[in-house]
Amino acid sequence: MTEDQKQAYKEKYLRAKHNGEHFFPDTIYKDLIVAFAIFLLLVGLALFVGVASEPRADPSDTSYVPRPEWYFLFLFEMLKFFPGNLEWLGTTIIPAAAVLALLLLPFFDRNPARHWKKRKFALGFMGIVVLGMVALTVRAAVTTPVQQESTVATTVAEKIAAGQDLYSVQCVECHGAEGEGGVVSGVEGLEGVTIKAIHTQDEMYTRNDDTLFNIVDYGQPNLGMPPFGKGYGGELSRSDIEYIVTFMRYSWDDRAELPKEAAQASAIPALGPDEIPSYDTHIAPLVKRYCVSCHRSGKENNNYLMTSYDQVMNSGDHEPNIVPGDLNSNLIRMLHREDIEAGGPMPPTKALKPEYIQLFERWIKAGAPQTTTK
Amino acid sequence: MTNKKVFNWLDERLGLTAIYKTIFERKIPKVNWWFTLGSATLFLFALQVVTGIMLSVYYVPSPDKAYDSIEFIMSGVAFGWLIRGIHHWGATLMVITVFIHMLRVFFYGAYKYPREITWVTGVFLLLATLGMGFTGYLLPWNQKAYWATTVGTSIAGTVPGIGDFILRALRGGDDLSGVTLARFFAAHIWIFPLLIIILIGVHLYLVIRIGISAVPGKND
Ligand code: HEC
Ligand code: HEC
Ligand code: HEM
Repeated sequence: MTEDQKQAYKEKYLRAKHNGEHFFPDTIYKDLIVAFAIFLLLVGLALFVGVASEPRADPSDTSYVPRPEWYFLFLFEMLKFFPGNLEWLGTTIIPAAAVLALLLLPFFDRNPARHWKKRKFALGFMGIVVLGMVALTVRAAVTTPVQQESTVATTVAEKIAAGQDLYSVQCVECHGAEGEGGVVSGVEGLEGVTIKAIHTQDEMYTRNDDTLFNIVDYGQPNLGMPPFGKGYGGELSRSDIEYIVTFMRYSWDDRAELPKEAAQASAIPALGPDEIPSYDTHIAPLVKRYCVSCHRSGKENNNYLMTSYDQVMNSGDHEPNIVPGDLNSNLIRMLHREDIEAGGPMPPTKALKPEYIQLFERWIKAGAPQTTTK
Repeated sequence: MTNKKVFNWLDERLGLTAIYKTIFERKIPKVNWWFTLGSATLFLFALQVVTGIMLSVYYVPSPDKAYDSIEFIMSGVAFGWLIRGIHHWGATLMVITVFIHMLRVFFYGAYKYPREITWVTGVFLLLATLGMGFTGYLLPWNQKAYWATTVGTSIAGTVPGIGDFILRALRGGDDLSGVTLARFFAAHIWIFPLLIIILIGVHLYLVIRIGISAVPGKND
């Protein structure tokens, strides 16, 4: 700008100021209204949207798909256009150039005009940049795969329920449904080994949560307890292990009181005298707690998988293990601890409670329905 | 009457009336609602400072305790969820308002003579605000935080020549660890806020000294 232009601007500005308003109260009331609206918006967001809970950081879980905060997404997305040895262009040159251009803008933009009609190039350029950032952000949001939903339990009751489920799948095959242990049967590599009970007062009083966590995390390899933490080749995240430990503590430690909701959530549904049991409501919870730990893929079980209704009805080397209406079905005979061609007593270490066996019998007698239609 | 006496005594020495007049009774051109974005950002920053201080009472910056301390704030502290919710959403909103504030200044050509330095301090404020977001994101020490920061810092590591140095300086080692968390915590509650406060001071001094620009007319 020339000195004349500067002078002209100053005079014009003084006139605008003269014809203007007072900051207080003419302008500041707008600022206060906006501030108040922002405050209400924030309280509303905190109340109705909240902050999503996330699992605990787990350095060993390299499968996690990283996602930066949303306002960095455009940068993240831009990098995808600079693969391999051009990466430094996207990570260094472009961001540095952009910041520098922004900083020095008042010095290289020599156009003295301020009205948008006389600054079409500058506004057009900025418009394209901003649109580009928005487009990249949208693209990133659409293409970044959604993180696999891992259950995040926040209340103690939720943690116990999550821990119960994980324990049923991961631990029952060796430690039994209630942590009672016993002579292992039906587990590769540990056939005939006696495992001490882990639900005892002795165990619960001598092992604190951290110790239990570590035992599950890296196992006791010399005793046959495999490591479960992802960092040691297992399949459990740190949150998962935390849930299992919470479950053990609240279920087996007589000093901890099981919250009411937790007790209800983990109870096996009761059955009235005339009610017809169904797979979905009555059998599935039993199977999940007492059988799935061994009867899932990757375990020794005569290929009898029990993770869905179809599998329970139609799988296994001695299929069918369930014949609707027939109490001589393999499954029932094995629950009654008979030794038959299909295998020995089930579950191998400890018989189910009589009322649970009865539940299986009533269900099969009724035709083994998946759901009961009223 | 004694009140007035006390005030006069103070005013004589501190110049309170003069300060009040320069800040509140100044004349400014007629401006529109877009001109509220700067003060909206200022308000959000103040809110972040207040809620941030409250959070720091319970937050523990160590890998073992950070996650649990946040969980405790959410469920164990009275209104902890509200304070954290405001701080969380306030950060997002502040980034939005700073950015749109910058766009409005750009659109009206308000960065031109004589407001060049106001603009330059503004750019540093924008960068510092993003720095707040980046360092704050790691603090909850959850999966999202950990992995986003792992990737973010490794991007800094690709800068030719000095990348490795930057990476190690950010992480305080080769990998993310408790040292990284301590560093990010220090940056988030001390370094960036201090920087922002100083910059806002200069920014507003200039805004008041030079006067807020007028909405440009066809002939400007
Ligand atoms: C492949 C079999 C197997 C599986 C599956 C297994 N464990 Fe173990 N676990 C063992 C053996 C063997 C021991 C050692 C028992 C002993 O010392 O008598 C053990 C010991 C333990 C102990 C006691 C350690 C001590 O010294 O007090 C705990 C607690 C434990 N396991 C928890 C779990 C949990 C929780 C799971 C499920 C995530 C699990 N285990 C799954 C085999 C297994
Ligand atoms: C500790 C692991 C373990 C648990 C727990 C377990 N099983 Fe088994 N199951 C086996 C193994 C191993 C076999 C293979 C036969 C054998 O070795 O006895 C088997 C076989 C069977 C078979 C025969 C499958 C076929 O087609 O040959 C049935 C039926 C069966 N189990 C039912 C159950 C039921 C019902 C439960 C739950 C109440 C259960 N099992 C719990 C390990 C287990
Ligand atoms: C923490 C961040 C910031 C705060 C708190 C802030 C605050 C303010 C306030 C209160 C004003 C008065 C006018 C208005 O509200 O529009 C203002 C004006 C101004 N700001 Fe900012 N600002 C910030 C960031 C920025 C950024 C990122 C830029 C640009 C890169 C910028 C450039 C300017 C300029 C040039 C003015 C003078 C505008 C005029 O006179 O019309 N500011 N700022």
